[in-house]
Amino acid sequence: MEINIQRKEAIEAIKTVRNLKDLDAVFKRYLGKKGEIALVLAGLAELTGEQKKVIGQKANQFKREITEAINGKKAELKELALVESDDMEWLDITAPGKKMSLGHLHPLTLAQRKASEIFQQMGFEVVDGPEVESEWYNFDALNVPKDHPARDMWDTFWLRQKKLLLRTHTSPVQIRYMEKRQPPLRIIAPGRVFRYEATDASHEINFYQIEGLMVGDDISAANFKAIIQEFLRRFFNKPVSVRLRPSYFPFVEPGFEIDMSCVVCAGKGCSLCSRTGWLEVAGAGMVNQAVFKAVGFKPREYQGFAFGMGLDRLAMMKYKINDIRLFYEGDFRFLKQF
Amino acid sequence: MVFSYNWLQSFFNTKLPKPEKLAELLTMASFQVERLEKKGADWVLDIDILPNRAGDCLSHIGVAREIGAVAQLKIISPRLTCLGRENEKLKSKSLVEVKVENSDDCPRYTAMVVENVKVGESPKWIKERLMACGLRPINNVVDITNYAMLETGQPMHAFDADKVEDKKIIVRRAKRGEKIISLDNQEYVLDESVLVIADTEKPLAIAGIKGGTRAEISRETKTIILEAANFNQTLIRKTSRKLGLRTDASLRFEHNLDPNLTSEAIELAVKMLKEIAGGVVDSRSVDFYPKKVLPKKIALDINYLNRLLGINIPKQEIIRIFKGLDFKLQITNYPPARLASKRAGEAGKLLAQVPTYRLDLNTPEDLIEEVGRLYGYEKIPAVFPSAVFIPPAKNSDILWEQNIKDMLLSAGFYELYNHSFIGDDEAKLFNYSIHELVEVENPVSVKQKYLRSSLIINILKNLKENLRYADSARTFEIGKVFGSGANGAVKERKAFTGLLANQQAKPADLFYQAKGVIDNLLGGLGLTDIWYDEYQAGPEQSKVSIWQNKRIAEIKVGGEEIGFLGEIAPRILTEMKIKAGVLVFDFDFEKLVKLSSEEREYQPISLFPAAIRDLAVLAPTKTKVEDAMRLIGAAGGELVADIDLFDIYEGAELPENKKNFAFHITFQTQDRTLSSKEIDALMAKIMRVLEEEGWEVRK
Repeated sequence: MEINIQRKEAIEAIKTVRNLKDLDAVFKRYLGKKGEIALVLAGLAELTGEQKKVIGQKANQFKREITEAINGKKAELKELALVESDDMEWLDITAPGKKMSLGHLHPLTLAQRKASEIFQQMGFEVVDGPEVESEWYNFDALNVPKDHPARDMWDTFWLRQKKLLLRTHTSPVQIRYMEKRQPPLRIIAPGRVFRYEATDASHEINFYQIEGLMVGDDISAANFKAIIQEFLRRFFNKPVSVRLRPSYFPFVEPGFEIDMSCVVCAGKGCSLCSRTGWLEVAGAGMVNQAVFKAVGFKPREYQGFAFGMGLDRLAMMKYKINDIRLFYEGDFRFLKQF
Repeated sequence: MVFSYNWLQSFFNTKLPKPEKLAELLTMASFQVERLEKKGADWVLDIDILPNRAGDCLSHIGVAREIGAVAQLKIISPRLTCLGRENEKLKSKSLVEVKVENSDDCPRYTAMVVENVKVGESPKWIKERLMACGLRPINNVVDITNYAMLETGQPMHAFDADKVEDKKIIVRRAKRGEKIISLDNQEYVLDESVLVIADTEKPLAIAGIKGGTRAEISRETKTIILEAANFNQTLIRKTSRKLGLRTDASLRFEHNLDPNLTSEAIELAVKMLKEIAGGVVDSRSVDFYPKKVLPKKIALDINYLNRLLGINIPKQEIIRIFKGLDFKLQITNYPPARLASKRAGEAGKLLAQVPTYRLDLNTPEDLIEEVGRLYGYEKIPAVFPSAVFIPPAKNSDILWEQNIKDMLLSAGFYELYNHSFIGDDEAKLFNYSIHELVEVENPVSVKQKYLRSSLIINILKNLKENLRYADSARTFEIGKVFGSGANGAVKERKAFTGLLANQQAKPADLFYQAKGVIDNLLGGLGLTDIWYDEYQAGPEQSKVSIWQNKRIAEIKVGGEEIGFLGEIAPRILTEMKIKAGVLVFDFDFEKLVKLSSEEREYQPISLFPAAIRDLAVLAPTKTKVEDAMRLIGAAGGELVADIDLFDIYEGAELPENKKNFAFHITFQTQDRTLSSKEIDALMAKIMRVLEEEGWEVRK
């Protein structure tokens, strides 16, 4: 029947209309006094009985649908007209936003959080220790005997009180922790440490370290390599590689120096890595049995690794900061960049 | 120490790897080469000898042995002539007598008389090598002793024999007050803690550290007494520290040396003196060496080696490495049955006899390090541990610290990390008595003489700096502070301090801003029952306070004081040249954490509407908001859900000494809608109570 075809045409016409004027034309064509529906309805008089009833119903349904479609379109076009109106106040979207006055966390806090988060994901517990230490925890228990040249590796601030000192590294936390626990254990200990030395762009009298310790039945140097490499990759978000060089720290044996492929040049050689392609990031090694003895573990019952990283140095490499003193000056112009 | 490439080459018949390559080999397997530099026809390597290897590697022979082991090159024996064989022809009587008073101080003393010496300039090649290593040539005799030291690691000394009284060398402790003038013309006053080399009269040298002028080698010297001795490392170290005198000799002795070295050094020096200075040896050496040091034997379980390194190194490889280090080996295999239970890899035990100059090797782990570094650490794979899964314990201190920092971050605060030290000036300014502070025995400067007892001082110093280009500041720090406890103990605690400063705002406004921050913060930490109390100066705080009088509150939770909030006294600000109003809050971090809680309990939201009524009341100026609120709360009873102060006004339109409080009072209950009649009655009661106080309720 003819009405069906017209219906499709009409709906299509309404859909493609772009403005109210064209919509009005569509309206007139179908629903106007001389529109198609009017013509059909007028022709009804010539029909009879069943046929009249069927066509009449169809025509009325058609009328309803078109009316609905036109009304819908009209609302849509009106809305559009309002939005696109030139009367609206103009907005410069490039003008600066109104900021809430947010503060700034210190870059060392950010670096420490990042490091702690990575190690916690690898099952390490974050522990703490005092900054004022005794000789026992800072040196003796760590296999650094009195009157031994090995002590010269740490320039120490001594206190007037009873042979106390400012811890020169975070390693005493290892001792304090192992005194109270039995392996297996996995900890990191971030914290402030102190060195008696002249300050310059890479030396401060106080700075931060992250100590790490993992001890079990068969924790090996190969395990250490995997853990430290994974940490550095996640911390710097780069596929860095790691190398171990021989080194000496009395509390480990064997002892390693840890180099990481340069984060700037990826090993090609640049000014940051002094053209070597490598950056020193940590001292490490397999825990010396003398340390286990000091905390009361049976000889050679356990083995494991320990490491110490300079947090300031990690943060300097991560954020490309060229002077360690900036961390402790509290200059707003520095802090607000983090 | 600085090494000469040519000198190192002289220990090998084969050509050494090129300097860059050699430096890389050493860096990866032995010691870091910090600098490589061409010097004439030679190269110099500045090698960072590890402290545990100072005994054998502060010498060219030591580093040559390392190169031999690393590059798998054969080293030519450095022994030049054999003193023993030559001795047979010599006069049986020595020309010098040696007496060592205590063999603990001096385990070995070897002396040799060389006659007919012509003192003069050294040949060019000796001078070149010494200069390459940073030593200044002096004369052939002194240069030869230095040369022998650089080659063998054994410090030596030469005395002019004619100036040694009675030709007698006595190794003894100095007498209190005894004096010596060193070769560089410094006078040292000695005591019993110092070991000296003396003749029958007076000291000739400070043992192991520096020679004296009395028996100095001069142009006229004909006969010399050569000394190569071994001294107690601790003794030398203590003396060197005490006298503030560090020399090439003391450096080596304080790291300990193999006593067997002395004869090797003497042999080398004697041979050179004969060849170069025309020296004649006509008598036996004197060798005081009561307890000969023999090589150590160390047992190593190969399974343990592989388990510790996390790799399987073939046994043959281990044997090759040990042989390259001149170890003598005994090898035992486990019976095969026992092997089965161990992890894959070769089992077995090695008994290694290590050379006496390797003072650093004592334990199996020491041997494992030798294998690891020479096999190559780069061959150790990265393998994740297969550890038992134990969830890491939560550290609540760290958690709360993190929360506090995050909340202050969103309140616009900058986080500071200040130094842990304060100086005399600040201690005085803040009225600390010195005995409360922890004093550093060896401060870097007077400005860093004490440990900070509060974070406030350095936060204020920081403010002063930042006010140069900022007109306001919100800062905080969380860090350790220190105080002097009973019996010389140090009290260490964590403090948490914040600051608000503004050059324009009224200090009173800052006070309320700070209070707002604190209320939000403490609320966020789950603390309830927070209130602010008038500051009560205790007897210990009787001295002049850093706080501005009447602008200081104690922050309390329940009955416990957890911190302070207050304005910094103008006296402090003037002294520190800070031109701004400054509000500081200071918490005992540990108390704060103890009271913090993550627990929250949901209170059902009332299904019945709340009614809000406003109330304005005129009260005397010094009325506390808290008192007004307490009166309203008490009068309104449990139907009062909230009282909110929305305005305080003092102004000309009001009667003198009066201020106006305006409150929103919210009435609500869980079980019904309150009728306006009910609320009116409560409001009337509240107003009556306030009027009874003499206040005027404005209607």
